[in-house]
This record gives sequence, C-alpha cells and structure tokens, in this order.
Amino acid sequence: MTATSLQFKQTSEINNLARLGAERLTLKHGKASIIENLDVSLPEGKVTAIVGPNGCGKSTVLNGLSRVHSPSSGVVLLDGKDIHSLPSKEVARRLALLPQDTLAPDGITIEELIRFGRHPHQSLLKQWAMDDQQAINYALNAADLEGLKDRLLDTLSGGQRQRAWIAMSIAQETPLLLLDEPTSALDLGHQIEVFELIRNLSRQGKTLAMVVHDLPSACRYSDHIIAMKKGEIITQGSPKEVMTKELVRELYGVECDLIPDPMTGSPILINMKRVRS
Amino acid sequence: MINQSLSLPNNEEITTAPNGHRLLSLGRHMTLLIEKQAIIRNVWLLILLAIACVATLGMGSMPISPKEVIAVLFGHGNVMSQFIVHDLRLPRLLAAIFTGAAFSLAGCLMQTMARNRLATPGIIGIDNAAMAFAVSSVVGMGVSLAPSAMALAGAATATALAFGLAGGSGTRGYRFIVAGIGIGAIAGAVTQLLLSQVSIDVANSAYPWTVGSLSARDPMMVKVLGIGLGTCLVACLFLASQFALMPFSDQVITGLGANIKHIRIIALVLCITLTGLAVAVAGPVGLVALVGPEIARVLARYRGIPLISSALTGALVMILADLFGRTVLSPIELPVGIVTAVIGGPYLIWILVRRTSRTSL
Repeated sequence: MTATSLQFKQTSEINNLARLGAERLTLKHGKASIIENLDVSLPEGKVTAIVGPNGCGKSTVLNGLSRVHSPSSGVVLLDGKDIHSLPSKEVARRLALLPQDTLAPDGITIEELIRFGRHPHQSLLKQWAMDDQQAINYALNAADLEGLKDRLLDTLSGGQRQRAWIAMSIAQETPLLLLDEPTSALDLGHQIEVFELIRNLSRQGKTLAMVVHDLPSACRYSDHIIAMKKGEIITQGSPKEVMTKELVRELYGVECDLIPDPMTGSPILINMKRVRS
Repeated sequence: MINQSLSLPNNEEITTAPNGHRLLSLGRHMTLLIEKQAIIRNVWLLILLAIACVATLGMGSMPISPKEVIAVLFGHGNVMSQFIVHDLRLPRLLAAIFTGAAFSLAGCLMQTMARNRLATPGIIGIDNAAMAFAVSSVVGMGVSLAPSAMALAGAATATALAFGLAGGSGTRGYRFIVAGIGIGAIAGAVTQLLLSQVSIDVANSAYPWTVGSLSARDPMMVKVLGIGLGTCLVACLFLASQFALMPFSDQVITGLGANIKHIRIIALVLCITLTGLAVAVAGPVGLVALVGPEIARVLARYRGIPLISSALTGALVMILADLFGRTVLSPIELPVGIVTAVIGGPYLIWILVRRTSRTSL
C-alpha cells in the first residue's frame, strides 16, 4: 500500500543470513521444559519483536540466545558457531544483552555505567584506549545522555535510566543487541523514546531483538515479529503478514479488530474484548 | 622518551582518562587505569597503619619511644629495645596485620559475591567450623596434629557444605547464608561438646582457639598466612575488573563477557584460604570481616568494591583491638576476639543504622 509495506516485503525476502539463531533448542528450568526443539533465527540488520502471553517463554528464548541460559539440548549458533564453545568475552564483543533485571552497583554515575559496556574490549593490560573513549562518547550521544553523564543512576527518571542501560549496550559496540522488555514500566513518552532509539540503532546496521508486550508497538517498531505460545513459535514474519485477528485471539484470548494506522500503515488493535480462547 | 600520544594520527584526539582516573601508558597498547580516589584512600590507610604499628611496637609493660622504635626498625637502637621490638612485639604485630587483613579481605569478597553484607565468613560458619576442627585436634588427637592445618580443612568443609546445601542458587541470596548459619551453629556446638568432654587442662590449651587471640600463634602459620595473604591480594588485583561486575545481575555479568561461575569459584577459594589461614593463626575473630569492609566502604563513599582498602582497614582494626586488649586492663590481657566483639559490634551497628538507605550490599 505504501512505502512501508514495500519495505516489509523486501526484508522478508532478502534476509536469510542470520548471524544469531538456534537449532532444536531445548531450555529447562529445573526439570520443567520451557522451550522444546525450537528453531529460531534473527534476520540480520532488522528489529525483531518477540511477542506472546506471559509465561510463553519469550524471555527464556532471549536468555538462551544470549548464552545466559544453557541449553539442555540443541545449539545456539552465533556466526555459525556454537555460542557456548566461544570465549565469553568474544561473544560479548558481538552480542549484547539488556535484561529486565537492572541491578546496578551503588552510587554509580551514567558515565560509569556506560563504561562497564567496554568490559569485553578491555583486558588487564589494556584498561583504557582511544576506542573506549570514542565508544562511550558515541553511546552518550546516541542515547542523548551527554548532559546527564555525571548524574547518579538512581536519581534519574525511569526513561532516562533505561536509556542509560541501552547506552551501556551501545558502548559494547556489538552488531547484535537483545533487549528483554525494554519499555516495561515506562510511561508512553518514555516508551516511544526508547523505541525510537531502537529504530535508530537498527538504521545504523545493528541486528536487534526485543521482547515486547504491547502489540501495536511491536508492529510499529519492528521489521519481523515472532509470536510465541507455550514455548513454541506459532508464526513469524513481517508485522503486516503476521498480525491478524486470529493471532491475537490465539495468543491472548482477545477478540479485536485490526485497522491500519492512517499515518504508518502498521496495524492497530481496536474494539478489544476478552474471550475464552 | 617520546610521548606515545604524539604518534597518533592527526585526526584523532588524545586519549584522556575518565573522570577521577589517571591513565598510565606502558607502551602503545598497554594502559592501566587508576582510580585517584582509591590511591589516595589507600595511601592514607597505609600511613595510619604505619603510625599504628609504631605505636603498638612502643606500647606495653616496657614502653619504648616512637623514635627508638623507628631506630630499632632501621637496625639501630639499644639491645634491650631490639629484643623487645624484634622478638616480642613484632611477630605479634605481624600476626595482627596478616589476620586482620585476611579476615577483612575475605569478608569483602564474600559480601560482594553474595551481594549481601551479612555474608561474611564468620556469619556463614566458616570461622566456627575452622575452630571446631582445630579444637578437635587439640583436645582429641594431641597438638602435634597441627590444629592450623585442621582449621584450613574446617574452613573448606564448611564452605563446601554451605555451597552444597544452598543447591542451585549458588552463592547468591539467603539460602547460602542460612545454610552457613546452620553449619556454624553445629560447629559451635561440636566445639563446646569437645571441650566439655576433656580435662580442664586440655580445655584450657584449646581456649585461645575458641575466643580468638594473638597470644598463642604458631610462628610457622604466621609465615604461611603472610604468603597466602600476599598471593590473594595479587589475585584480587588481577581480578579486580571482574569482581567489579558482581553487583550487576547474573545476566548482565554474562552479557558483558565474564564467566560468573569461574569468578565465584575463585572468590570462594580465596575466601576459604584467607579465613582458614587466619583462623589457624588467631582463632575466630570473624567480626573483623564485618567491620573492616564496612569502614572501607564508608571511606570509599559506597562506590566500587574496596578490596585493598578492606584489607588495610582490617589490619588496622586488628592492631588497634589487640593493642587495646593488651594495654587497657594490663597486666591482664583481653583476647583480641573479645575486644573486636565488644568494640566492633556497637560500631558496626552504628554504621548500619546510620546508612539504612544503602542496603544493597
């Protein structure tokens, strides 16, 4: 219909060269399988949104892909190699993870937090170099935090704090970035701020994946949607292809109508009603 | 020598250290980043430590002036002072420095790993277990069976048990602490049981092990502790950047490329070594492991993980506590473990109450 839909078509055709993916991945919490025999890959240079009801295993998949959660069987492949066979620091130079749990050291400033993003690039005898300095300045600039860099992390608003955490991942200078619910607990303005930052990073060539709860935002800010339920991928593809009334009912037990956003063409949910699925 | 930064291409700006740091270039590709505040803090602590040392060496039933003490330390002074300083007071002072630093460094490490400032070796039962093992060797099998080595074995056993009982949750959270408290209680009870079963003379010879005292130290063990402490301090310097990640969540630590399991195991081994060796010298003076790191954190204004400062404050606390115990009721000597409990306890409570807003570590 518009430029957007054309763009979406192209992306789903071109991208089969995934840098990060999993084959027959099984992840367990104790004895309970959360994910079984899952095949998944992230299209390169795009924003992928993982959606699904609570407890469907979205965050577990993200933790699996980022080697935080070791697989019981199957393999996670980063650039064609088993991620668990690569040195952790090496992985951290290619793949950054922003988890939901954002515990930080006491009394840390924004700049200090972002400096931790340089950890995988530093070593005992290379503790600070030009590229560290440039990466931090770049991250501060990209996340629009230059004026706040000496502020304490706990004195910031939720949106600023989230931007600081994303800036830490930016400073890590990885081509891949995984974000677990980057906008949960943020108000509307801050949500959009974070999503726009994510889109900007994608425009600069990064491959991103995020777990998102809000379907319209997932459609609006991603190129590729992976819909999960009970540890399985129900469907995936561009938001326009994937997002249907049937999917919303299947995932959430919600009856709704979908209309295209008059400005962007991305689907909007209206007339929502809870039903038994 | 030509400044390395001159050889950088023109379009690049010169590398400057982040705020509050100093950059040490050791060649084009080797750089060290040094936190100015930490250096200043540790130099001050070293100066205080030196003053405390001179004071300690001078004080006692035979007072020696600080001037004379310094003269003796540099190889001068009269024979009498030399004998008192070198043969009587210096070994005890070294034992105080080493044990204080070892307890305190172990405390700081374990608090950092568990992300909980209750988690010191003393609280989670390592001290008690080391003591129980040492006492069992004193009362049961005769002193010849090296209570010091038994103390180390006890420390390792307690940690392994706490670790095993805490199960999947690793060294994080209350499971580890609660398991450790239980083990400590059992070890304490075993000690009492052992002491109640033997003659009063044997119980007396085991007494220093149960209260924490620097008067019954084994010179060989002091040397071993010195070497162990030195090794652990060097290891801490090498691992400082990894330990600095510990306040983050496990996911962030892994995401930044650190191997969290390795770091934890190394830290636990360091804790066991330091605590076991320190208990082998001085018995359970576990409160130093709570008070030392706490003072270090106040001095560091609750920023970073003050490992080296903790070692220094621990040494300082131990010296002062021993000095107090030796002199205040002279000629009666108070065991250092009792002094740290009587003085350190209230001070610790004061610090904790004063800083209730900072509870994460």
